Amino acid sequence: MPKKNFATALILATVLLVAGVATYVVLEQRGGDDENAVYYVVEAPSNMKGVLAANHIDGYIAWEPFVSDAVVDGVGKVIEWSGEIVPDHPCCVVAVYNSFASDSEGQDMSARFLKAHMTATDWINQAMDDSDSADYALLVDIAVEFTERNESVVEEALEHMKFHYAMDASFTTALENFTDMYMELGLIAEGKLADGGYSNVSDFIDKYIDGSYMAAAASIEPSETILNPDSPIRLGFLKGDIHQLAQAVGKSDAVLENGKSIFEEYGLNVENAIGAPFSNGGAVMDAFAGGYVDIGYLGSPPAILKHLNAEVRTSIVAQVNSEGSAIVVHADSGITSLSQLAGKTIAHPGTSSIQFLLLKAALQWEGLELKLKT
Amino acid sequence: MDGHEVDIRMEALLKVFKEETREIVALKEFSLDVGDGEFVCLLGPSGCGKTTVLRIVAGLETKSGGRVTVSGVEVEGAGSNRGVVFQEFALFPWRTVRKNIEFGLEVKKIPPHEREAVSSTFIDLVNLEGFENAHPHQLSGGMKQRVGIARALANDPAVLLMDEPFGALDAQTRNLMQKELLRIWSATRKTILFVTHSVDEAVFLADRIVVMTARPGKVKRIIPVALPRPRERTSSEFISIRGEVLEELDAEFAKTMMREMTDASVQHKA
Amino acid sequence: MLSLVKLVKGAIALNWRQLLLGALSLAIFVSAWQMYSWYLNANVSGYAAYVPYPGEVAEAFVDSFVTPAGTDGLVMSDHIIASLKRIFMGFVIALSIAVPAGLLMGSYITAEGLGMPIVEIFRPIPPLAWIPLFLVVLGYLKGPAAIVFLGIFFPILFNVILGVKRVDPILIDAAKTLGSKKRHLFLKVVLPYTTPYLMTGIKVGLGIGWMCIVAAEMVGKYGGGVGFYIWDRSDIGQWDYVFAGIAMIAILGILTTGVASQVERRLYAWMGMK
Ligand SMILES: Nc1ncnc2c1ncn2[C@@H]1O[C@H](COP(=O)(O)OP(=O)(O)O)[C@@H](O)[C@H]1O
Ligand SMILES: [Mg+2]
Repeated sequence: MPKKNFATALILATVLLVAGVATYVVLEQRGGDDENAVYYVVEAPSNMKGVLAANHIDGYIAWEPFVSDAVVDGVGKVIEWSGEIVPDHPCCVVAVYNSFASDSEGQDMSARFLKAHMTATDWINQAMDDSDSADYALLVDIAVEFTERNESVVEEALEHMKFHYAMDASFTTALENFTDMYMELGLIAEGKLADGGYSNVSDFIDKYIDGSYMAAAASIEPSETILNPDSPIRLGFLKGDIHQLAQAVGKSDAVLENGKSIFEEYGLNVENAIGAPFSNGGAVMDAFAGGYVDIGYLGSPPAILKHLNAEVRTSIVAQVNSEGSAIVVHADSGITSLSQLAGKTIAHPGTSSIQFLLLKAALQWEGLELKLKT
Repeated sequence: MDGHEVDIRMEALLKVFKEETREIVALKEFSLDVGDGEFVCLLGPSGCGKTTVLRIVAGLETKSGGRVTVSGVEVEGAGSNRGVVFQEFALFPWRTVRKNIEFGLEVKKIPPHEREAVSSTFIDLVNLEGFENAHPHQLSGGMKQRVGIARALANDPAVLLMDEPFGALDAQTRNLMQKELLRIWSATRKTILFVTHSVDEAVFLADRIVVMTARPGKVKRIIPVALPRPRERTSSEFISIRGEVLEELDAEFAKTMMREMTDASVQHKA
Repeated sequence: MLSLVKLVKGAIALNWRQLLLGALSLAIFVSAWQMYSWYLNANVSGYAAYVPYPGEVAEAFVDSFVTPAGTDGLVMSDHIIASLKRIFMGFVIALSIAVPAGLLMGSYITAEGLGMPIVEIFRPIPPLAWIPLFLVVLGYLKGPAAIVFLGIFFPILFNVILGVKRVDPILIDAAKTLGSKKRHLFLKVVLPYTTPYLMTGIKVGLGIGWMCIVAAEMVGKYGGGVGFYIWDRSDIGQWDYVFAGIAMIAILGILTTGVASQVERRLYAWMGMK
């Protein structure tokens, strides 16, 4: 009888083991056998370098400084900058929460904020024109502090993006394209446009982009006093996102000679919103909805998605940057072009990211399909 | 000893329980011989060490001194030559009646068909036909103890050690089980060492009644019961022996009472 | 298969009173939710869309089974299967470690002395905290399974230890007097006695396993999974679908623990314990 019992235990153990191994094998299957597919996993950019180094993925697409992180460390190399995929593609934007700008005071604050954003952006660009200048050194210092990266990562990252604020026709077209892509994927239901009071995509983008604050900013003058000492503008932005350097420059009191920050120069008391810095644009939109953020820096795709899907009513009032993302693979891999990604596993930051849209489009043009890794 | 061969021999047993703060001398100078096929009842006030004696003989408890032999062999640990019947029945709840009875046979690696033959015999002996596949929780107390007895006997032990086996049963079932036990005993002629604190039970069952002293337990007096079986509880002989045993016990009960009270007061003061 | 149907039936075959009260409690909950949504919409709250109406969630729930997602082409049933696989893997690993460990720790004071400090250090750490480490060290397959494993492991371990310690000493005595020793005693008395406790551990563990699945699938956002689905839908702001996913986890959790507690109940009854 002990024999029989022992045998039962043995059989049970074996069954469990076989079942476990079977599941393991089923789940372990890397990618698939589709030669025309690139497999994706969704990953927070902050984890991407580590996951690549541990060899769990073959590459990733992310924004700076998560690209230069891996490059400078020798873990990864860039095979394609986002500017090579879509030249001058928009990326981050400044968004204002509509109910914040619903009265004249809020509108004035928003215009002043834009003036500061534009001033900061202009300063960044003149600093970057001469990498021997004191301003450039200061810019790097500000970026090092903001991103918590070293100088080489920061300088590497700065090379691959453009800072500007103007919202031209190509910007509008690009946002329309993003919206179209999401609608084609069924990620924004048809009815959501009508729910927001828009007749079609171009009508939506037309109304979503609000150039009035930038126009008003032209006539904004510096203010001697802080105009909102008791009700600071609550600012949302992403953690260490070097695209959003303008807001870090705007806060710095080392940029202007009078010792004020650019925000203060224009009479603004600006503070980090509760929850800031956020981990992605979707989180900034959620914070808008929750009433914790007045003005935010975030990627244009999450702004579009949550404006329509979750009815987080905001306005896009300025650009922040264009380009500045890249596809990274193992430094020692033989991969040099997009077409060689076939059958590989690539991480992207999520459906709501511009990187997802860029990756999907880029692969499509190569005749490759982006499929979820199984 | 009626010319019987000695089956269980206990010589100068000593048992000391060591607790954190004190030592309890449960047995001291406890000596007793039980003859082959004899039915001996251990009787004494509660706490006098009856269970301890039984557990030492069963090999479930170590002794602090003295010697125990069963069938001439020194006791070392529990073994299947000494069957034990527990007051709490101690049946394996997940086993059927039959499987409980076959437990000891499984240990001995007896093949299934032989096991079944043996268990059937004992199921018959204890009158449990029809309940072979019942689980213990489906049985009444009396039936549970029938299983307990059958399980102990199925192992064919030299001696049967029973610790207040009917203590948990109601009076009627208890009387019935006593008769049943005598019937089974006469069928198997096992040596039985039977612990009880019921004078009536002891006089009804035993060849000899061993009255123990209050703690530390030792043999106070051995009272033979020379009545023929079946015994009549109402017969004058029965009543007179019962009176004799009760007298012996009363003194010990009084001692126990006294000690419990002083124990309590000592503890109270401490 | 038939017995499974029986089990599920048993799990829902409560008496009428209980069923009625359950329905009432659900009705109260749904009404309160409906009113809260109304209130948010009426007050043009910024997050009204974050609390969709119960009806919208129900619609999304149905749709999630019908319409494949534009990104990954998966429907809810795919996600359920993916999550079940992860739960199963975590469960198998948890079982195969917790049972021997529990038996050892319950049986030997030395094993308990050695094991307990480690157990006590790791037990209070929320599975979420392990994500970055598990992700890099264990990767996309083992990482999520490890998170689920942590949820399931401790209840099984503690219940097995408890079972071993609770083994009625009189049964050990009885077995000994019937000649049983060491291995036999362990296999025939300790092990059977512990089995229902193990089942209790499994029941509790599976419940916690489902609680961990969202965290687990934040490690490995690949291959689908209900936790993955919730994350993905919240990323794009489809809150009705997010709640559909949350409801799905609740249902799966209830079903799993329901079946497990039926097995547990029957096991106890069959073994005549408790
Ligand atoms: N494991 C033990 N630890 C400490 N004391 C014990 C233990 N077992 C029994 N005793 C003590 O030994 C004495 C005799 O106990 P026991 O043999 O059970 O008595 P009886 O069966 O006659 O009622 C009692 O005083 C009891 O408290
Ligand atoms: Mg006793």
